[in-house]
Amino acid sequence: MPFFELNDVHTYYGQIHALKGISVKVEEGEVVTLIGANGAGKTTTLKTISGLLRPRQGTIIFDTHRLDQLPAHKIVAMGVSHVPEGRQIFPRLTVLENLEMGAYLLNNAAEIQQNLDHVFQLFPRLKERVYQPGGTLSGGEQQMLAIGRGLMLRPRILLLDEPSMGLAPVLVEAIFNIIRELNQQGITILLVEQNAHMALQVAHRGYVLQTGRIILQDSAKALQANEMVRKAYLGEE
Amino acid sequence: MQTETVAPTRAVSRGIFSSQMLRTLFAPLGQLAIWTVGTAVVLSLVVLLLALIFRTSSSGVDRFTLVLSILPQVIVDSMVLGFVYAMIALGYTMVYGVLEFINFAHSEIFMIGAVVGAEVLISLSEAKALENFNPLLLILLIIAAGMAVSGLVAVVVERVAYRPLRNAPRLVPLISAIGVSFFLQDLVRMLESIWRNAFYRTYPDVPSFSQRISFGDTLDVSYKSIIVVVAAIVMLLALNYLVGATKIGKSIRAVAQNRATASLMGIDVDRAIALTFLVGGALGGAAGVLYGLRFSTINPYTGFIPGIKAFTAAVLGGIGNITGAMLGGIVLGFLETFGASYLSIFTEGAFGAEYKDILAFGILIIVLIFRPKGLLGEVVGERA
Amino acid sequence: MVNRHSISMPFSGGKAPPWARLVGIILYIAITFGLAYSLEDILPRAAEIPLTLFESLAFLAFLGSAMILYYQPIPKVAKLILGILVLLLLMPALGLRNGYYLEVATQVGIFAALALGLNIVVGFAGLLDLGYVAFYAVGAYLWAFFGSTQAGLVLTSIKDFFPLGGEWFFLFLCLGVIVGGLAGILLGLPVLRLRGDYLAIVTLGFGEVIRVMVNNLDKPLNLTNGPQGISPIQRPPLFFMPLLQALGFDLEPRQIYPIYFYLLVILIALIVIFFTRRLDDSPIGRAWIAIREDELAAQAMGVPLVRTKLTAFAAGASFAGAMGVLFAAKQIFINPESFTLMQSIGVLAMVILGGMGSIPGVILGAILVTTLNLQILKALSDWLNAMRQAGTVLNLGFIQYAMKNLPVQLEPAKYERMVFGIVLVLMMIFRPEGVLPASRRKLEITANRETPPEAVSATPPVTGGGE
Repeated sequence: MPFFELNDVHTYYGQIHALKGISVKVEEGEVVTLIGANGAGKTTTLKTISGLLRPRQGTIIFDTHRLDQLPAHKIVAMGVSHVPEGRQIFPRLTVLENLEMGAYLLNNAAEIQQNLDHVFQLFPRLKERVYQPGGTLSGGEQQMLAIGRGLMLRPRILLLDEPSMGLAPVLVEAIFNIIRELNQQGITILLVEQNAHMALQVAHRGYVLQTGRIILQDSAKALQANEMVRKAYLGEE
Repeated sequence: MQTETVAPTRAVSRGIFSSQMLRTLFAPLGQLAIWTVGTAVVLSLVVLLLALIFRTSSSGVDRFTLVLSILPQVIVDSMVLGFVYAMIALGYTMVYGVLEFINFAHSEIFMIGAVVGAEVLISLSEAKALENFNPLLLILLIIAAGMAVSGLVAVVVERVAYRPLRNAPRLVPLISAIGVSFFLQDLVRMLESIWRNAFYRTYPDVPSFSQRISFGDTLDVSYKSIIVVVAAIVMLLALNYLVGATKIGKSIRAVAQNRATASLMGIDVDRAIALTFLVGGALGGAAGVLYGLRFSTINPYTGFIPGIKAFTAAVLGGIGNITGAMLGGIVLGFLETFGASYLSIFTEGAFGAEYKDILAFGILIIVLIFRPKGLLGEVVGERA
Repeated sequence: MVNRHSISMPFSGGKAPPWARLVGIILYIAITFGLAYSLEDILPRAAEIPLTLFESLAFLAFLGSAMILYYQPIPKVAKLILGILVLLLLMPALGLRNGYYLEVATQVGIFAALALGLNIVVGFAGLLDLGYVAFYAVGAYLWAFFGSTQAGLVLTSIKDFFPLGGEWFFLFLCLGVIVGGLAGILLGLPVLRLRGDYLAIVTLGFGEVIRVMVNNLDKPLNLTNGPQGISPIQRPPLFFMPLLQALGFDLEPRQIYPIYFYLLVILIALIVIFFTRRLDDSPIGRAWIAIREDELAAQAMGVPLVRTKLTAFAAGASFAGAMGVLFAAKQIFINPESFTLMQSIGVLAMVILGGMGSIPGVILGAILVTTLNLQILKALSDWLNAMRQAGTVLNLGFIQYAMKNLPVQLEPAKYERMVFGIVLVLMMIFRPEGVLPASRRKLEITANRETPPEAVSATPPVTGGGE
């Protein structure tokens, strides 16, 4: 049985059939990316996994547990951490409070401190801004904060939604380096990106989504070489 | 929802832990004290100045002496009323902060607290148990009873009448809340009619509460007024602690700022919302008991006017803002009491205390039109 | 017409042929009328039998025949004839038998007109007005002031003019429209920029302000006579009296006035229905719908926001103003008690129950809520009282309850608020589009319920956009 698996997942927004049977597998220790155009269903897939949306059909299995009928807060507790699109930090809480919010489910102060040190080690910038309200950070810092917050529970799988969105190229580079580092530390990552170029560089495998369906799946290398992917998603002629 | 001070961080900031914590707890109280004194001073100066300008009335009464002689009493009454409004306003503001929804039925939650307090006292009095009760214990008992029942009713109301409508268009839950408000009024009336064959209830006289302390000739303060103010301050401290420094408060604040993300942090959003109603409802219930103690006669329709005024207070302070609701309550209590006490002196009886309700609505309308953010600024709505 | 109701066709009774429907509806009218007319002769008199309750229900069923008639696909002429028969002949006949029926029917008409006015504000334009009854009060006090000696107390120099003669009533009916509309504009101008829920609270505040003022404006100038209210107020003259006498009807004014007011209310209600339907189909009606559905989008399309909302407010208020004038003349006596928040919420409950934006729905709402309040609750009270006095012992099989132990304070007639409350909550949870939804509204609400992503996940509520 795979570490993490979506099997024929269908999700609706009211009448709108957004996911039309998505099946994705992620093995432990992998970085897997979902790429696709706007509206292809990438964010919907992540929201369905983390319980923000409920699939009408299909199963989601994580480490032998069914996730598809659990509410969001119980899914987090199982070690599935979702860093949402657009950062979604708490603007009026300080950086530290935001990070503590990420550790909401932990009760052991020493453990929280340990995870906090880990996050500060990854993002020294955040340590400089500990007492600043999250809303006053720059875009890149907010993204770091969002990822850091997602790491506070020491998740076993991290769902990253568009971490490079709206960031300057230097910062994009930095964020992807962090993703690599996290993976080396043993965290499994499911990465949603519009920047397919970068995503395929860090990922082991990838899925291409189009209007709610998976139209292609392969190793990242093979996808990078694929004619269709090169044309449609890597902007090459 | 915003608490004025930033919550301390237990994990890293152990060194500054205690001072941070103290600030969380007491800074809003300091602000409250400043606003209370400030409002009292400003309004006193205004009426005294007016009395100096229009010193003699047509019947030859010296207005200045008259105004001055009742001033201390007016200030004490203002504070009592203000603290009651502040406590009710907290319930409106907390729910608004979390759901962006005016809990119209909160005035009935308040009324239920007042009725429960009355019934407990009446039952004790009928059992001839009032005299041998420790007064302090008695106060704690009736407040706790009011808080428990009101808090529970608020949670039930949320579960039954609001939760199914959480994603409906904005006016739908508001209409439901209006329905709940009307329903609860008559439900209490019905239960009281069946049980007691009467629904106008009077708080029985507790001798130890009815004593008064005199300060000079112009001011004597009843124990009841002191109880109201002290109890309100204790409650506000407890609320500050709860919202600013506990895990429950943390979950409530997270849900207020961003519901979806809060659930991604592992926070049970439904539970946090229910807790908000529990806390707000319990405060409303306590306010009801204090109101009943102070004003004695209550009925199932008592809640409406104080409720709408407390909502005004919440808007005045900046709805969604906890400290703001307290300040708004105090300011409104002062404005209303000063208006009710002095209007007839200056208009020679043509307009008097009967217009105090209009005053509150007038303030509400003016604030909403000219400064909808309120005194401290509306903080909901601005979401990441 | 047919098209508009194609979505919902209540009371249509399957696929019966028109002649069968015609026979059916005639039978229905005959039976309900017969029951309402003669139940008191048929039923034995005993405390345990709630005679008035049965009568009220029969009467409600009879009133309902007008609604059922409206939805029958039978020839228009037949509808018209039956409608006239029910409203203009059978109802007054019932009224002569039992005056209270006519009173209830008149109240239904007044509330239907009020509810149709509120429907413009709430149903068409989507603005929740909780102080609607204030405009009704404005109209009522307008005529009460000039149509009684009250004006003479204030305008002392010309006090012989007052009270104005009854014939002025008709002019004041028109003035009520204008003054009500002006009051709507005056209130609307400052507050219509507010967001929906704040608007609701401010209008509620306005309603209370009017009530407090009416209660207290007996000094410094005695405009309203305070809580005592104003009485007597002039009624419109019986100018057709000679005609009736010539025709051989020798009736006392005491008998004529209820029927006269009933007919007047029916006439005004028909005019109101006519106007609301015209408004619904007009460009301004569509502008209202547009701002109700999406203010921003409507603005972007060039709908002037404040002006459109103001017209809705003014239109609704002007109906209420006119009905207020009529109410004052009908009651002869008015005081602030008739203009409380409870009245506003009652009218709102009618609109919500029937269906926001749906004209037949709102009328049905007015029929149901008014009869419930005026008749059915009261009948329940009477029944309990009768049983209490007769010392009845209820035998419920496993438990016996002596009715004389029932607390005297428990009077069902006083629980209007509970009725309104239950109506509002249940409708919002189970059927926000109302019993007889407007076709447009129904589409909108089902769409609203389905589209947002939150709707998919019932338990974990989330905000924030989708893809």
